[in-house]
Amino acid sequence: MRRADIAGLVDDRPADGVFRVHADAFRSHQVFDLEMATIFEGGWCFAGLDCQVPHAHDFFTTRIGRQPVVVQRGGDGVVRAFLNACRHKGALVCHLQRGNAKTHSCQYHGWAYDSSGANVGIKLLRQGEYTPAFHAESHDLHAARCEVYQGLIFVSLNRDVPPLREHLGGMATFLDLIAEQSPQGMEVLPGTVTYTYRANWKFQVENTGDVYHFTSTHPSYIDVLSGRKAQQGAAADTTTYARFREKELVRGSMCFAGGHSAMWGSNPTPEARPLYESLDEVAARVGEARARWMLYVRNITVFPNVQFAENASLQMRVIRPLAPDLTEMTGYCLAAKGESPAARERRIRQYEEFFNPSGLATPDDTTAYEDCQAGMQAGRVDWHQGYMRGMAVVQGGGDRYAEELGVVPQTSAHGGFEMGDETIFHGPYRYWRDRLVAGA
Amino acid sequence: MSALLEASALLYAEAAALDERRWDDWLALFTADCLYHVPAWRDEVTPTEDPTREVSIIHCSGRAQLAERVQRITGGRSVASMPPPRTAHVVSNVMLAEESDAALRVKSVWASHVFNVKRQDQHVFFSRVEHLLVRQDGAWRIARRHALLLNDRLPTMLDVYSL
Repeated sequence: MRRADIAGLVDDRPADGVFRVHADAFRSHQVFDLEMATIFEGGWCFAGLDCQVPHAHDFFTTRIGRQPVVVQRGGDGVVRAFLNACRHKGALVCHLQRGNAKTHSCQYHGWAYDSSGANVGIKLLRQGEYTPAFHAESHDLHAARCEVYQGLIFVSLNRDVPPLREHLGGMATFLDLIAEQSPQGMEVLPGTVTYTYRANWKFQVENTGDVYHFTSTHPSYIDVLSGRKAQQGAAADTTTYARFREKELVRGSMCFAGGHSAMWGSNPTPEARPLYESLDEVAARVGEARARWMLYVRNITVFPNVQFAENASLQMRVIRPLAPDLTEMTGYCLAAKGESPAARERRIRQYEEFFNPSGLATPDDTTAYEDCQAGMQAGRVDWHQGYMRGMAVVQGGGDRYAEELGVVPQTSAHGGFEMGDETIFHGPYRYWRDRLVAGA
Repeated sequence: MSALLEASALLYAEAAALDERRWDDWLALFTADCLYHVPAWRDEVTPTEDPTREVSIIHCSGRAQLAERVQRITGGRSVASMPPPRTAHVVSNVMLAEESDAALRVKSVWASHVFNVKRQDQHVFFSRVEHLLVRQDGAWRIARRHALLLNDRLPTMLDVYSL
C-alpha cells in the first residue's frame, strides 16, 4: 500500500472538529498484513506475566503477531524470549502451553537448545560432513527483545526498539495502579477462557474504552442487576455497575504516546471491590490519591495487544489478531495476593459473570463487533462516525485529573457518564497510522 | 423402572427442554439450591477444581441464577441471544456412578450441536457431564450439574443451551 493511502484511512482534522476512521482499516487484507509486520511483529507486544515463570527454567509459549515464541526464565534467573522454531527445519521445539525444562530438543532431527535458547547439540555433528560455512553460522534459536515492567513481560521481535519503559511512558502509572494494590503484588488465577470472534481486532481495542455503548449493549445485564436489587435490596450491590446511574459520575479518558489509552471513572460502589477491605493499608502505602484511583473504574489498553479492565472485577485481556475479520481473545482473572477468601470468591464470581464469553455481558459486546464487521461489507460504508463524541471538550495535555494522578497524556477529556467520550480512540489511531505509514 | 432408566429419562428430558426452548420446564428440573458448574482449564490436561479459588466458565449457585440467564436468553434485550440458535443435544454413555434411594450420581457424554441462524454457521460443543440427582416430591431433580467442556476455545460465546 502507498503511504498516502494508509495515512488517508484516518481523517484527522482537529481544527475542523473532525475525526473519522475509514472502514478499510477494519476489512482490508493489505492493512492487516501491514499491521502484523509493523505493529505486532515490529514493536513491543505483551507476552505474559512474570508470575507465570517463577522458577529457573520455567517457560510458557505464546505468539507475537503470527510468530510462535517461547518465553523462559534461564538458569541465571533472566527472562528471555526466543522464536519457537528449530534452526534446522523450523519445527516447533517446545510443545506445551507452559512447563519447566532445562533443554528443548527438536523431535524431528534432535537438535537441542538450553533454557536461554542457545544451541547445545546437533545430532551427529562430527559425522555430518558440514562445510566451514555451516560452522560459521549461529545455530541458536532466534532471540527477541524481552523486558519486564511491574511483572508484565513484553517482547519485541524487532530488536531495534526503544526500551520498554520509554514505550510505556505515562501508561506505566496505570499499570502501577494494578500492580501495587497488594504489598505482595498481583497473581493470575488458574483457569483461562479463550474465544474467537469474527471481526477486526481493533473493535476490541475500542470497546474497552467505550463508555457510550454500555446502556444500549448491556440492557439484559442491567435487568439482571435490577432484578437482584428488587429482591435483595442493598445486599445486591455487589458489583461496580449496581448503582452506576444513581450518582453524578465523572468519566474521563487519556491518550498516551505509543498508542496507549485509558478510560477512567469515579466508582459509585467502591465497597463492592475486593480491594475495599484493605483500603487503609493501601492508602498508607501508595497515598490517598492513588488509593482512590485504584477504586475507580479503569479500562486501559497497552497498545496493541493487552487490556486491563477493572470495573466489575479485574480482567486482563490479550488480543491476538488472526485475520482482518477474525480475532482470538484470552481472558485472565487477576487478583491481589493475600486478599481474604471471601473477597477472592466474590472477585471470581463477578469476573465470570461479566467478562467470560459465557457470561452476561461480554457476548453482547462480541456479537456487536461481528455485526459491525458484517455491516461493513456494504461497500457504501466508508467513514465511521464513531469518533467524535467529546471532541468539543478534549484538551491537549493533561486535565486536572491527570495532574492529580501525576501523569502527562497527549490528550485528556472528562465529562458525565452520558457524554460517552470517543476521543479516547484518537491517540491509538494516530499512533496506528504513523506506525503503518513508517512501515509501508 | 430401574434407577438407570429413571436417570436417563431425566437427562433426555433436560436435553429436550433445551432443544425445544421450554425454559420453565428446564428450570423445573433443578432444585432451588442447585449448583450449575462448568470449570475452565488450567492447562492442556487439567481442569480447574476449586471454584472458590479458580476461574470457571460458568458457575451458577441456585435456580434463581439460572432463571436470570433464561430471562436474558428470552427477554429480547441481548443482541448475542437473538435470533435464537437451533440446537440438538445428543446425550449418550449414560452410567450410574453411585446409587441410593435418595440420590443418584450419573455420568454422561453430551454433544451439543448449535446452529447460529444469523451467521449461518454451526459448532459442536462436547462435554463430559456429571449430574447429582436427588429425590424431591417423588421425582428426581438436578442438585448439581457439572459439565467438563472439552473443546473450550469458544466461537464468540457460550450459554446454557450450548452445553
